[in-house]
Amino acid sequence: MTGHWNDFKNADVLITCGSNNVENHPESARWVQAARDKGAISIVVDPRYTRTAAVADVYCPLRPGTDIAFWGGMINYIIQHDMWQKEYVITYTNATYLIDPAYEFNVETGMFTGWDEEHQKYVTTSWGYQTAETVAPNTGAGGAFAYALRPGTPAFTPPDKLVPKRDMTLQDPQCSFNVFKRHYERYDLETVCKVCGMDSQTLEQVYRLYGQSGARDKVGAILYALGQTQHHYGSQNTRIMTLVQLLLGNVGVPGGSVNALRGEPNVQGATDMAMLVYDFPGYLKWPTAASHATLREWLEHETYSDGYYTNKPKFFISALKEWYGEHATVENDYGYDWLPKIGSLDFTTMSTFEHMDSGLIKAYFLWGMNPANSTANTKFARQAMSKLEWLVVVDWVETESACFWKAPDLNPAEIQTEVYYLPAALIYEKMGSIVNSGRWLQWRYKAVEPADLAKPDYEICDLLWKEIVRLYSTEGGRCPEAILNVKWDYHRDGVIDPRCVAMALNGYKWDNAGSWETRELLSTFGDLGADGTTACATWIYSGFYANGSARFDPSQQKVGGRSLEDKTGLGLYPGWAYAWPLNRRILYNRASADAAGKPWNPERAVVEWTGSEWATNDVPDFAFQSRAADGTVSWIPPNDRAFMMTWEQNARFVCSTMKDMPLPEHYEPFESPADNLLNGRQNSPCIMFADHPSVKRSDPAEYPIAVTTYSVVEMWQTGAQTRGCPALVESRPEQFIEMSVELAEEKNISNGDTVRVWNNRGDVKLTAFVTRRIKPLKVNGELCHVVGMIHHWGWAGSFSTGDTVNDLAPNVGDPNSFIPEFKAFLVNVEKA
Amino acid sequence: MADYAIFFDSSKCTACKGCQVACKCWNQLPSPLGLNANKPTHSYQSPLDLNGDTRIIIHFEENDNDKLWGVNWSFGRRSCMHCYDPACASVCPSGALAVDGETGFVRVSESKCIGCKYCKSACPFDVPRYHGAQSKINKCTGCLDRIANGGPVSINGGTGQTQAQFSVPACVHSCPPGALKFGPRDEMLRLAHERVAYLKAHEIDPSPHASVYGEDQLNGTHVVMVLKYPVETYGLPANPQVNPLTGLLGLMKPLTGLAAAATVAGLGISFLTGLGYKRDKMHYDEKKHEQVDLDTGEVLWRSDAVPGPAGDEDGEKDARPAKKGGK
Amino acid sequence: MSVEITRRGFLQAAGLAFATSMAYELSNQSSAFALDTDTEWKLVNTEEYTNVCCYCSGGCGSICSVRDGELISLEGDTDHPINLGALCSKGAAMFQLRSVVTEDTREVIPNPNRKTRPMVRRPGASNWEAIGWDAAIAEIARHVKTTRDASFITTDQNGVTVNRTEAIASLGGSQQNTEECYLILKSMRSLGLVAIDNQARV
Repeated sequence: MTGHWNDFKNADVLITCGSNNVENHPESARWVQAARDKGAISIVVDPRYTRTAAVADVYCPLRPGTDIAFWGGMINYIIQHDMWQKEYVITYTNATYLIDPAYEFNVETGMFTGWDEEHQKYVTTSWGYQTAETVAPNTGAGGAFAYALRPGTPAFTPPDKLVPKRDMTLQDPQCSFNVFKRHYERYDLETVCKVCGMDSQTLEQVYRLYGQSGARDKVGAILYALGQTQHHYGSQNTRIMTLVQLLLGNVGVPGGSVNALRGEPNVQGATDMAMLVYDFPGYLKWPTAASHATLREWLEHETYSDGYYTNKPKFFISALKEWYGEHATVENDYGYDWLPKIGSLDFTTMSTFEHMDSGLIKAYFLWGMNPANSTANTKFARQAMSKLEWLVVVDWVETESACFWKAPDLNPAEIQTEVYYLPAALIYEKMGSIVNSGRWLQWRYKAVEPADLAKPDYEICDLLWKEIVRLYSTEGGRCPEAILNVKWDYHRDGVIDPRCVAMALNGYKWDNAGSWETRELLSTFGDLGADGTTACATWIYSGFYANGSARFDPSQQKVGGRSLEDKTGLGLYPGWAYAWPLNRRILYNRASADAAGKPWNPERAVVEWTGSEWATNDVPDFAFQSRAADGTVSWIPPNDRAFMMTWEQNARFVCSTMKDMPLPEHYEPFESPADNLLNGRQNSPCIMFADHPSVKRSDPAEYPIAVTTYSVVEMWQTGAQTRGCPALVESRPEQFIEMSVELAEEKNISNGDTVRVWNNRGDVKLTAFVTRRIKPLKVNGELCHVVGMIHHWGWAGSFSTGDTVNDLAPNVGDPNSFIPEFKAFLVNVEKA
Repeated sequence: MADYAIFFDSSKCTACKGCQVACKCWNQLPSPLGLNANKPTHSYQSPLDLNGDTRIIIHFEENDNDKLWGVNWSFGRRSCMHCYDPACASVCPSGALAVDGETGFVRVSESKCIGCKYCKSACPFDVPRYHGAQSKINKCTGCLDRIANGGPVSINGGTGQTQAQFSVPACVHSCPPGALKFGPRDEMLRLAHERVAYLKAHEIDPSPHASVYGEDQLNGTHVVMVLKYPVETYGLPANPQVNPLTGLLGLMKPLTGLAAAATVAGLGISFLTGLGYKRDKMHYDEKKHEQVDLDTGEVLWRSDAVPGPAGDEDGEKDARPAKKGGK
Repeated sequence: MSVEITRRGFLQAAGLAFATSMAYELSNQSSAFALDTDTEWKLVNTEEYTNVCCYCSGGCGSICSVRDGELISLEGDTDHPINLGALCSKGAAMFQLRSVVTEDTREVIPNPNRKTRPMVRRPGASNWEAIGWDAAIAEIARHVKTTRDASFITTDQNGVTVNRTEAIASLGGSQQNTEECYLILKSMRSLGLVAIDNQARV
C-alpha cells in the first residue's frame, strides 16, 4: 500500500470493499476503530455481513464480481453532485491532457477502440495522448541523462519525451477527465442496483458518505484485498478504486490511499524480489526475447523519458553487478546474455499446470507453497502435477502438494513423480527481514535452533546451489557459464549468512577485492550508477541495512530500528523499522498539499512549502531540491509533478498501459447468473485461459447459484499451518458454506447439514451454516442466491481434514496480473 | 485494597478469538490432538462452552435488526467474571479459590483444589470446569502471575528493551482491536460509561440497548463490559443471583478433602442443579441451534446460525467437544 | 491503551510469599508440565527475541521467550507500533507451530503434525521413505542437471540468445524472508528458469 497500517486512524471515512479486514488482517481493526473513535465513518461493502461489517457503521451488500459497477456508480454520483476535489484533480492528474481523437468506447459491442482481432488483443495507441511537442533527452551537464555518457555505462539512446497537449480549462471534450466523466454517465443509481443487487437507498447513503471525503480538508481510505483482485478484471477493480481516490483527492494524503491489504506475511518482499515471471527485482522488467533481446534493447525499451525512471539503467546495471560480480563488465553487457529471456509462452501459475499437463514442464520446486490445494481448479492442477518427473517441496508440514499423490482422487501406483520433502525452519528458528503491506522492512531474530533436522530455506537453497555448481564445474553441461559466473559469496566464516544477503540487497560500492567485512554500504539509491561502480540487488531497499560500522548487527541497522518517536502524532514512526523507498512512510506525499504547497488539512501536514523551502515530516516523494554542477543545493518551489514514478509525473484517469481497458468497464464474471446490463459484451475480451479445455465452464441453467470464496480469522490459506495448530482447529473445527435462510428453505437444508456443492470442475462436501447474514439479492428484477465458502481444508495433516474447495474455482484470470477468478463463479447445492 | 478490572467492549470486539487462543498458549492448556477430534459446532462459536481445558470463549449470537441488510451480531466474552463477593471462593473448602488482595480477582491455587465442585454449584455464571482424574478446577486465573511479574524485558541479546511486556492478562494483551483492557476498576468503569454514551448517541448507527455490565450486577464484578445489544444476546444473565444455599456451603468450609467431596456427593445432583444460573444439564439442539435447560425447557441461548426447516430432534446432549487421546 | 501497572509495585506486594512458593515449585516440577500460575512464573530466566508474524501482511511484532534453547512462550510485542502487543488467534497460536500440549498430562511436546526430517517418495510408491540431507541434496541437484541439460535453449528461432529452460518451474517466496527470496530467485533464474511465481497471484 502507499500508506501503512497505522495510517487508517487518520481517515475521516473508510470503506472496506473486497476485503474482510477485521478477520483477515485483524490488527487493522484497531486503527479503523481509532479513526471511528475520532468520529470517522466506516463502511463495509461485501456480499455477506462479515465480522468486519459487525464493527462498522454502514453495511451495503453487492453481488460478487460487480465492483466496477459499484465504483463506477460512485464516480458518476460524485461528479453529478459536484463533490470532487477540483484543485487536486486539475493539478496532479492527467485530467487536462487530451486523449487521441480516435478513442471510443462502443456500448453496443462493449469494446474499446484498438481491438486486433487476429491477435485477440488491444493495440492501445488510441488510448494515448495527443502530442504537443517532442523534446529530445538532455544528456548535458545537469541533464536527466548526463549519466548515460559516463565511462562504463552501456551504450543506449535515451527516449524522446512526447509532451501531451493540455486544456487547463477542461473545455475540450477529449480531455482525459471529460472522457472519464462521459464513460460513467451510464452508471446511474438504478442501473447499479440492478447489476449489484442492493437497494438504492443504501447505495446512495454509501456514495454520499464516502463522497464527503472530496472536501479539501477531508480524506477517505479504501481498504481492499483479494475480493477485488481475484476476478478476470481484477486489475481494473483496483484501478477504478484509484480513480475514485484521485477524484476525491485522497491519494498521497495521510488517512487516504488505496490500501491493498496483502495476504501473505512477505508477499510484499517476494514481489519486491520479483518472484514473478515477468519481473526483475525492484519492479523492473525481466527480459523477454521479443522486447529485450540485448541489454541495449532493455535499456531503450524500459527507460522513461521523464520522471524518476529516467534512472532505471542505474538500478538495472547495479543489480547485474550484484548478480555476477567481477564477471559483469561493460564489455560483456554486465552478463546480460546469461539471464534467461522469456519466450512467447506464458508461465504464470495457471499456465504452469497446462504446461505440466502437456509435458513441457517436467520438474517443480515448491518453496512454502501448496498449489495442489490452493490454485484455481485444483483437481486439474493435481492431475497435471502427477505428470511431473520430480518435485521438491520445502515446507514445515506435509502439505497437500507434498503428498498430492495421496489425494483421494489419485492412485499413487500410477504416479511416477519422485517427490522430495525438505523440512524448513520456522520463522523464529532463523533470522532475516520481512516486508509488511505498508512496505516496512522488519528484522526477525532467531530465537531457537531449528527443530530436529529442519533447516532454514536459505541454507537449503545454498546447499542445493553449491552442489549444482559442483556438478557443472566438474562435469560441464549446457551453458555452464550462466551458472559458474554467478556471484554466490553470501558466507561468513564459510557459513551462509542472511546478513550478507541483506547487504547485497541494500547495495554497496563495487570493489573487486571487497568482502562483506569491508564493502562500503550505500545509504540511498541516489548513489547508484549505471557504470559498474555500484552493486545493488534491489534498488528500492537502499538504506535499510547501510550501517557499515555494525554490519553484522541488525539492531544497529535501520531495519532493526525500534524508536517510537512520532512527533506529528500521525503514526509515521520514522525510527521504527524501515519503509522502502528511502524510509518514506506515505508515497506520493506531495499530493497531501495543494498546488501552492499548503497541506489540505494542517492537522495532516506531511510536507509544506513555507515560501522559501519545504518543511517535511516524511521523506518527500517528489523533486524538492536540485543540485547544481558545483554542488550547490537549492529548493524547488511547488509544481504539479506529484507522481514522479510515471513519465508524465501526474496520475492517470484515461491510461494506455493496461492490456484490457483504458478505463475500467463492468463485465460479468466468467461464470455469472446474470447478463451484462451495462454494455453488449458479457466477459472482458481479454480474459485469460477461458479457452483451455481444463476450465469446463459451468452453465447458469445448470448451476444457478453465485458463489464467492474467502478466509476466516482462525485459519489461513490452505490451512497447512493453521490446521496444524490444535488451538486453531478447536476454534474452527469444520469447513462451512454459508447460505441464506431462503436458499436453505428452497433446498430443504438445515443448519449443520452436510451439503454437496458441485459444478463442472469439482464436487465437495461441507457443513451448511444457514444465516441471515447472507440475503438473496435482486439482480435485474430476478432473485439471485449467493453462497460463500471457506477454503482452508484438504486431505493432509494430523488434526483436521476435509474436502478441497478450490477444486470448484475456475482457472481463468486477469490479463495484467494473471490472478484467477476465485471470488465469483457458479455452483449448485444440495443436501448430501 | 487495590481494585482492578478487565474491561471488555463488545462493540469493538471482532470475535477473532485471539483471547481464546492466547489463554490456551500462556496457560499451557491443551486442545484435542486426535484427527478430526473436535466436535463440529455448526456455528462461528467454538467450542460451544467452557470446559476442563478452556477458560474463555467468544460467544456468538445473531439476531434480526430493524434494517434491510445485516443482523445484530453479538460477540460476547464468556469467562470468569471475578465477582466482588465471589460465591465460589466463599464455598471453597480448600482455599483453592480466594480473593486476590492486589486486584480483587478470584485467584486459583490448583494444587489446593480437592475436586469437590462446590464452586460450580455456587457460581452465578456457571464458569468453573474441571480437568483430569482429580477433577481439578479450571477457570480464569486473571493471569495474576503476569500482573505480578510482567514488566520491561531485555531483548535480542541485550540490544534493546521493551516497556511493559507480559504485564496484563494474556487475553487482554492479545486483543487486536483493543476491545479488552486492564486497569483500575473505576477507570475501566469510566471508559465503559463513556463508550455506552457514545454508542447510544451514535449518529448513523445508534445502539439504544447499550449498557454497562458488571458494575451493579452482584454488587459488582472485576470484569466490566460494554454490551452493544441486549444483555441476553451475550449469553449473560440480566440479573445474576447467588443461590442462598451457598451460605450453607460456606458453613461446610471447615470440611476438607474426601469429607467435603463425600458431602457434596451425598447432597446429590438435585442440589447441584437447584442452584442459581447454570449451564449444567443443558441440551444442545443442533437443528434449532439452541441451548436448552433440560429442567425448565428454557432456551438459554441461541447461536449465530439460524434454524432451517424443522428436522429431527436428535441433537447431542453434551456440548463439549469429544475428547480423544493424543497421537 | 491499558493503564500501566508497574512491575515494581506488584513485585513488592506479591513479595516473599511468591518467591518462597516458586522455589518450591521449581524444585518439584519440570517446566514442560502445566503451570500452576498461582505459584510459578513461567518466564524465569528466559531470554527474549523479537520476530514478525507469519500470517497476514500486517507485520505484527512478536516476542519469543527462550530458556535453555527451547521456546517457552510467544506473544505480541507490546512496543510494536502496529499491534501494541496484540495478536489474533492465528498469531497467538504461533507457539504451536513448534510445540503442543498433551491432553492427559498437559506436557509440552514437539508438534506431531510438523515433519522435521527429509523424506522421499519414489515413483509409484504409496509411502514416504527417510532420506539423509546429503543424499537428498545430491539427488535433487542431479535431477536439476539432467532436466536442465535436456531442455536448455540457448537461442530462439529469431537468433536471440535466450539461455532458458522451460522444463523446470519454481513457486514460492511469500513465506520466506526477503534474503531467502533473493537467494531462491537468483539460483532458479541462474539455472535458466522462466517459470518463477509466488503467492502474489493467488
